[in-house]
Amino acid sequence: MAELMLREAILQTLFSEMERDENVVVLGEDIVGGMGTDGGPEAIGGIWGTSTGLYDKFGGDRVIDTPISESAIIGAAGGLGLTGKRPVAEIMFADFLGVCMDQIWNQMAKFRYMFGGKTECPAVVRMIYGAGLNAAAQHSQAPHGILTSMPGLKVVMPSTPADAKGLLSTAIRDQDPVIFLEHKALYAEKGEVPEGDYTIPFGHARLAHAGEDVTIVAAGLMVKFATKAAKTLSEQGIGCDVIDLRTTSPLDEEAILDSVENTGRLVVVDESPPRCGLATDIVSLVTNKAYASLKAPPEMVTSPHTPVPFARELEKAYLPSPDKIADAVQRTLAWK
Amino acid sequence: MKNIKAFTMPKWGIEMQEGTISEWVVKEGQSFKKGEIIALIETDKISNEVEAEFDGVLRKIVTPSGQTEPVGALLGVFGDTDVPDDEIETFAQSFEAADTGTAVGRNSDTKAYAPAETASPQAPEPAPPAISDTSFDNLNISPKARELAIELQVDATQISGSGRNGRITYQDVHQASRPEAKVDLGGALPMPVDDESIFASPLAKRLAAMNGIDLKGVAGTGARGRIRKEDVFALLPDASARPQASLAQNTDNKPQIVEMDKIRKVIAKRLTEAKSTIPHFYIRSDFDVENLLEFRRIGNKVLNTKASLNDYLIKAVGRALVEHRDVNVQVHDDKIHYYPHANVGVAIAAKSGLITPVVKNVDLMDISDISRATTQLIKKANSGKLGLADLEGGTLTISNLGMMGVDQFDAIINPPQGSILAIGGISRVMTEMEDGSGEFRSKLSVAMSCDHRAIDGAAGAKFMATLKSMIEEPELFF
Repeated sequence: MAELMLREAILQTLFSEMERDENVVVLGEDIVGGMGTDGGPEAIGGIWGTSTGLYDKFGGDRVIDTPISESAIIGAAGGLGLTGKRPVAEIMFADFLGVCMDQIWNQMAKFRYMFGGKTECPAVVRMIYGAGLNAAAQHSQAPHGILTSMPGLKVVMPSTPADAKGLLSTAIRDQDPVIFLEHKALYAEKGEVPEGDYTIPFGHARLAHAGEDVTIVAAGLMVKFATKAAKTLSEQGIGCDVIDLRTTSPLDEEAILDSVENTGRLVVVDESPPRCGLATDIVSLVTNKAYASLKAPPEMVTSPHTPVPFARELEKAYLPSPDKIADAVQRTLAWK
Repeated sequence: MKNIKAFTMPKWGIEMQEGTISEWVVKEGQSFKKGEIIALIETDKISNEVEAEFDGVLRKIVTPSGQTEPVGALLGVFGDTDVPDDEIETFAQSFEAADTGTAVGRNSDTKAYAPAETASPQAPEPAPPAISDTSFDNLNISPKARELAIELQVDATQISGSGRNGRITYQDVHQASRPEAKVDLGGALPMPVDDESIFASPLAKRLAAMNGIDLKGVAGTGARGRIRKEDVFALLPDASARPQASLAQNTDNKPQIVEMDKIRKVIAKRLTEAKSTIPHFYIRSDFDVENLLEFRRIGNKVLNTKASLNDYLIKAVGRALVEHRDVNVQVHDDKIHYYPHANVGVAIAAKSGLITPVVKNVDLMDISDISRATTQLIKKANSGKLGLADLEGGTLTISNLGMMGVDQFDAIINPPQGSILAIGGISRVMTEMEDGSGEFRSKLSVAMSCDHRAIDGAAGAKFMATLKSMIEEPELFF
C-alpha cells in the first residue's frame, strides 16, 4: 500500500474514476488554473492541488474551469447529472454554500422525488470545510449539520486518506447527489491507501480506537482529535471506543448504539456549534434508543455558538481539542 | 481555658449507646473549616460523617480510629494554636463526660444530641433543618433544585451550577448529594485488525479481535452483506460443545478473598446475635391472593397510584397488628413494649446491603400514602440517605423474596422487633371451591417468625388468621 496525503488520495481517486468512466466530469473555480489557460505549467489544479494534472490528461471537455459563481457551478452540476454525466463539482470553501443553497437544497436534492423517481442526479459536490488554519469566519465553517438535515442528500466526511479514496469512489458511482466534505486541516494527513479499485459503502462507521468505558462519536478532523484523546486516556486505563461516522447521512445508527450499549457512556465531538447540530442529533438518537444503557448523561464537545474567530489563539479556543474531549470523558466517568 | 472545646461521641437516636470512630478525616494538629467533615463514626446501624460546626484546630486525638466509646466520651480536643500543649493535655485529663456536642452528623435525622448522662427517655426534639428556604435567597438556583436541596439538606452554596449562567439545576443538587462515583474501568482494547477488505460493523470487528476470530470469508447478514455482532456471536465456540473434562481440569478455581465491609460486618453481627439469642418459632400459611390482585388493579386506578403488592401487604399487616396488641411489640431484655400504632419495617436489598427502614403508623395511612412512603424509603436507602429515625420503631418487618422466584423461606427476626414475615412467591394452585368444583387460584406463601419470649403460638396464629382474612377479602382494608 502506498502512503499518501489525503489530498493526494483525492486526486488519485479523481484520476482513476475519470479513467474508469468517461461520463465523470470535474468542474469548479480555478481547477485548471483560471479561465483561458491551456494547461501546462499554468494549470495549477485548484488552490488545494486536488485536480493537478487532470486537465492535461482529460482535456477541457471533462475538466472545466468555471466563473466565480457557486450558484452556476451547482446548477451546471445538477443539469449534467440529470442528463447522464457524473459531475464532480468543487466548492472551494464550503462557506460559499449559502450562495448555491437553492441549487443544492431546492433543486439537486429534490430531483428524484419531484420527478416521481423518473430521474436520477449522480452529482458529487466536493466542499472544503473546517477551522484550524486561521482562515477567519467566512472560510472556516463546518456546515455538515445544515447539509445533513436536508433530505435527498448524502453527506460524507472522510477522516483518513484511505477513507477519502474509498468514500470518494463510492460517491462518484452513487446515483444520488452526494456532498463530499474535505477538511482543509486534514489535507496533509498521511496514511496508507489501498491500491486499485477501492470503495467503502455509505452508512457504515469505522472503529478508530477500541475501549470498554466510553463511546466517542466523531467525524472528519474530530476523529483525529478523538483518537488522540483516546490514546492519552488509555494510558490512564480508560478505554474509549472512537466511532468514525464516515457519513453523517446515511448515519450508522447501529454502530453508535452497539457501542453505547457496551460502554454506557457517550461523548459526541462536533466541530460545528452546539445548537441543532450533529452532536445534538446523535445525543438524541442515543437517548431515544439506548436510554437504558446510559450510565451518565451524554456529553457534547462542540465549538461555542459563535462565528469562527480569526485570531489564532481564539480559534484554538473555539475548536474542540483532545484535552476538551478527555475532560468530557472524565466527566461521564465521574457521574454518580 | 477558653478556646478549648471537647469533641465527644454524639448521640444519634435513643437507642444509640456507643459508637466507633471509623476514620479521623482531620488529623491531629490540622485546622478545619465550618462544614468540613471531621470524622466518620459508625454505630451498629449506620455510618455517619461528622461535620464541624465552627472553624478550628484539632489539637489532640483522644480516641484513635477503630476504637469504640460510649456516647458522651471524649474523642478529641479542639483548641486555638496559641493554647499551649500542656493546657490541652490538662483539659483532656480532667474532662468529664458532660460536654455538649460540637458537630452534627451529616445524614442523621436528629441534628441535636446530648451526652449519655443527660439523655432523656424520650426521643430528642429534632432541631429545625439547618438548610431552609432562606438559605439560597441570593443563589441562582432552579425552584426544583431548591426544593431538593432543602429536602436532602444539601448546601447548595457549595455547588457550581451546570445550567445557563451557572444556574444550579436539580441534577446538580442530586449529584452533590451522592457519594463519589467509583467506576470499574474496562480499559482500552487492542485495536481489531483493520483490514478494510473485511466488511464488518465496528463492534463485530472488536468482538472478533477479542475472541481471536478471523472474519475473512465470513458472510455477513447485515445490509449489503455487512458482518454484524450477531454473526460473530454465531462463530463463537458453543459452550456445550467444548471438551468439558479438559476444561474443568485446566481451570484455576482459586477463591477471591474479600474482607467484609463495615455494613456487611454489622449485618453479620446483628443477625448472628438475633438468631442465637431469640427463640424463634414459625407459622406458615398460604394466602389466596386472587381477590387482592384484582383489588390492587382496580384500587390503583381509583386512587391513581402505583402501589405494589408489597404496599398492600404492608397495609394489611398494619391493620392486623393494631388488632393484635400482643403481636405489635418490641422486646427489650425482660421488658415488652406494646405499641398502639403499627410501624412496619420493609427489608430492602439496597446497593450497600440489607437494610430495613420502617413505615410509621401504617394503620393510619391509606394505600397511596404507603406507596409514597415506601418509594421514598427505597430511594433514600439506595442513595445512602437513611437516617436513624428511618430505621427505628418497627415491631414487624416484611421481607419479600417472591419477586426473585423464591417459593417460600423463613426470615430472622430483626431485633428488638417481635416478629418478621417472610413473603414467598405467588403460585397457581388447583383449589377445591365451595361448590366442589376445581379452580386454579393464585396462592402466596407466607412464613412468620415470632419471638417466643413475647409472642405465644396462639397469639401468632390468631394474628396470621386475621392477616389471611384481610388479604383474602381485601375490602376489609377500608
